[in-house]
Amino acid sequence: MPFDWLNPYHLQVASFILINVILGVSIYVTLATGQLSLGNAGFMSIGAYTSAILTTGHGVPMVAGIVSGSLLAGVSGILVGIPALRLSGVYLAIATLGFGEVVRVVFINWESLTGGAVGIAAIPQMGREILAALRDAGFSPESLGLQNNQFISLAVFVILSVTTLAVILFFLRLANSRVGRAYGAIRMDEAAAEATGIDTTYYKVLAFSQGALLSGLAGALYAHATSYVSPADFTYHRAVEILVFAVFGGSEHLLGPVFGAMFLTVIPEVLRFVNDYRHIIYGTLLVLMMVFRPQGVIDPPLLDRLSGREPAEGH
Amino acid sequence: MFAEQLINGITLGSIYAVVALGYTLVFGVLDIINMAHGEIFMFGAFVGMLIVTKVHSSLGIAFAGAIASTAAMGYLLERFALRPLRGKSGGSPLAPLISTIGVSIILENVAHKLFGAGNHLFETPFAEIRFDVGPVTVYLVQVVILAISILLMAGLSLWLRKTRAGKALRATAENLETAALMGVATNRIITATVVIASAMGGVAGVLVGMAFNYINNQMGLAMGLKGLAIIIFGGMGSVGGAMAGGLILGLSETLVVAYGSSGYRDAIAFVAIIVVLLIKPQGLFGQALPGTER
Amino acid sequence: MSRSIRFLCLASMLGFALVFMGAAKDAHKASPPARTRKPPVDAKIGVISIITGQGAGYGEAITNGFKLARDEVNAKGNVKIELVIEDSSGKQEQALAAAQKLINSSQVVAILGPTLSTEMKVVGPEANASGVPIMGTSTTAAGITQIGKYVFRNSLPESLAIPASVRKAVKKYNIRKVAILYGNDDVFTKSGFDSMKKASEDLKLDILTVETFQKGQADYKAQLTKIKNLSPDAVFCSALYEEGAVILSQARKIGIKTPFVGGNGFNSPKVIEIAKGAAEGLVVATPWFADRNTPKVTAFVARYEKAYGKKPDQFAAQAYDALYIMAEALGNAGKADRKLLRDSLAGIRNFDGVLGKFSFDAERDVVMEPNVLIIKGGKFQMFK
Repeated sequence: MPFDWLNPYHLQVASFILINVILGVSIYVTLATGQLSLGNAGFMSIGAYTSAILTTGHGVPMVAGIVSGSLLAGVSGILVGIPALRLSGVYLAIATLGFGEVVRVVFINWESLTGGAVGIAAIPQMGREILAALRDAGFSPESLGLQNNQFISLAVFVILSVTTLAVILFFLRLANSRVGRAYGAIRMDEAAAEATGIDTTYYKVLAFSQGALLSGLAGALYAHATSYVSPADFTYHRAVEILVFAVFGGSEHLLGPVFGAMFLTVIPEVLRFVNDYRHIIYGTLLVLMMVFRPQGVIDPPLLDRLSGREPAEGH
Repeated sequence: MFAEQLINGITLGSIYAVVALGYTLVFGVLDIINMAHGEIFMFGAFVGMLIVTKVHSSLGIAFAGAIASTAAMGYLLERFALRPLRGKSGGSPLAPLISTIGVSIILENVAHKLFGAGNHLFETPFAEIRFDVGPVTVYLVQVVILAISILLMAGLSLWLRKTRAGKALRATAENLETAALMGVATNRIITATVVIASAMGGVAGVLVGMAFNYINNQMGLAMGLKGLAIIIFGGMGSVGGAMAGGLILGLSETLVVAYGSSGYRDAIAFVAIIVVLLIKPQGLFGQALPGTER
Repeated sequence: MSRSIRFLCLASMLGFALVFMGAAKDAHKASPPARTRKPPVDAKIGVISIITGQGAGYGEAITNGFKLARDEVNAKGNVKIELVIEDSSGKQEQALAAAQKLINSSQVVAILGPTLSTEMKVVGPEANASGVPIMGTSTTAAGITQIGKYVFRNSLPESLAIPASVRKAVKKYNIRKVAILYGNDDVFTKSGFDSMKKASEDLKLDILTVETFQKGQADYKAQLTKIKNLSPDAVFCSALYEEGAVILSQARKIGIKTPFVGGNGFNSPKVIEIAKGAAEGLVVATPWFADRNTPKVTAFVARYEKAYGKKPDQFAAQAYDALYIMAEALGNAGKADRKLLRDSLAGIRNFDGVLGKFSFDAERDVVMEPNVLIIKGGKFQMFK
């Protein structure tokens, strides 16, 4: 067997890292305009449930389900983002946190659609679906020297890698575009941005719905990676976890939350023995970061130094 | 039935109000939402429980112990998670929010390590005293809880308005730099505020134990989220708003269960804040604060 | 690494061959563990449990049960079991990651756990697809063993437990009107409620109201006051004991004197510890009864108390039996092979454990007669 080293468990962890990376980017995008949204767990659940319901109950193909889940989350983002314009800072954080809780309670109570606390099981799993499709076309993973479960995990990992990479590249480009500069200006000083002719309303809502869409995408992917969703996956703790990714990794550059999500998902897996104290470590990290490095591990000056460039002016 | 549910609602609402007072005090002075308040409250409940059930002391001592320990926690919180962030150049206004979330996670899990995951009995003979008013049974505890919450609110308003320390506190709330220039020892005032707010959390913790007889390490989060909703709903930094907001939330939660569906009970608080924020962002009883502009 | 995989493939191929040759014979014989001078069967068994976070109390009892049984089994000598314990924190994705690790890195022959039904719904398909037998010891929701033919459980499902307690209580107390109270944000209590509702409808009971509560709630008085004013003959309550005990206590305090009927999750010595006198009159159905005076049960309780300083609850007891079932199946299989183990597990009938006589049905689900208990005089007694 040429691929003995390919351990589905490692691929599994890697896949969850990638989903968390998308979640990290989702909170970053909204934060890029200075808006802290803690509603991402809510948007994530909208994406997850939409795709789960469409694919299990209505025979919709998985790709269409994931796309509709993301889009519906994005639209909800617009609907929440517009009234949220009136709020800022902690008010916005708490209101969005409240939004997430309301969504969860609705999913618990809307039993006919969501199955309540029991959740939705037997959601088509990406890897298994692909394997089944390829099987029909006469392909067998053994021909590549892979076992079935290796192939399944690998397929999930590849899909998620491509998606995540696309997301990161898109938003890296965006950061250097007109839109990205507008985001940055709004984050620095909203009034000044407004005065220079930037349509702050438009850009703030855009950022909000982009974040929501990404959370929805992550949720839909999560649903098709685990094949089971229930309201318990999208609690306050999930919202805080997403926040920690951005805070720890850094919220001034896109690569910050990407790094945060990777690091904080790997550590508990590598150090499973620290699992007992994992949450205490999370909490301590949050406090220490705020005290010693509020901008997070990764910030633009660090990136400049890493890439050997002269620090840009103004940092 | 209505009378009984009314009493249930008022009891719950009074506890919410005391929890919310702690939030509102800190917010009023520091413009900070202290996300660790719920967990400090939970620790207060546990200290009170240990004193009552393990040491077999009186409720008075339980209150004193809970207040002392939560006040100490408040001091540590301010000293290590809030003061280092103050005056840091370029610090995000969200930094304290995040750092207190960190403290709340630490406290919740430390409590888990110390006390375990389950419910703990909070039993006092005092909680058994009851009397009948017509067909309705009223427990003395329920009256006491309402009385304590009103006393705390009134005392706090008076203290803020009439005493020197209270005035210094309000000056600090108004403008930290100016107050410092005017000779107010702002660091001391801020520490005092957080300590007092935390001590109120301790009181609320013991009240919960008395009212419901059980406490667990998860209740900080549940109560804390409600308390948060209340201060937004009632108006950030408004003492009266916290009291009114707490009572309104307690009553509406109870009445929704009584006459509607119990499944949506936990959503009420958040639906309420979302609605209030959209209609009147400064809250029902709040004055417009800098954070609510736009 | 590559050698171990090759060995595994070889072993499983050999297993296949053996099964094909011996399946017909085995199925009829169900021979007792061979008491020969053969070397002991060495087996690595994975455990997925909640070590940290909410629900760690259940995980602790479960792992204690496993460890106690493992020590006893190993002392007997014909099966040597090594446990590899992984934490799930009660979360699906962590449970799945733990399962992957056990299946692929630790190369376990079977998995015990995970603790929650929600976790099993994610882990079960994975283990099944990988051909690793998995047995839930506390997963009681509907549809668990239907996941696939490698999925087993020895935990009494609520769909068996609740009708048993409801039927007995209705008959004894002549119950006509009931109020139902359940936790609607938890799979366990929600599926318990579904069984409860169905059982009530089957018995043509008048359901006066259905009330819900949520995790972490401290105050149940609003729901209970409403129930009290409808004056039902009994309150059916689908709750885990942590919440259930508090509900009972508050219910008695506001003056609800009717019997409470609960399911399997409501049964724990802790109910009496937490609710004290208020626990009187609670009727539950359970696989586990610590005061059943059989030598097996008495010995287990004594050893468990000696090892861990507290009485075993049903989670510990089910875990304890589960490991013994595994050991017996391993002994029958003759070697630590996943496929062989699956087949010999599926053949377990009339296993005699601390929970009583236990068999798997054709769908690898539980066949056993639940005990219906009532709390009287501060302790659980058989409800007759």
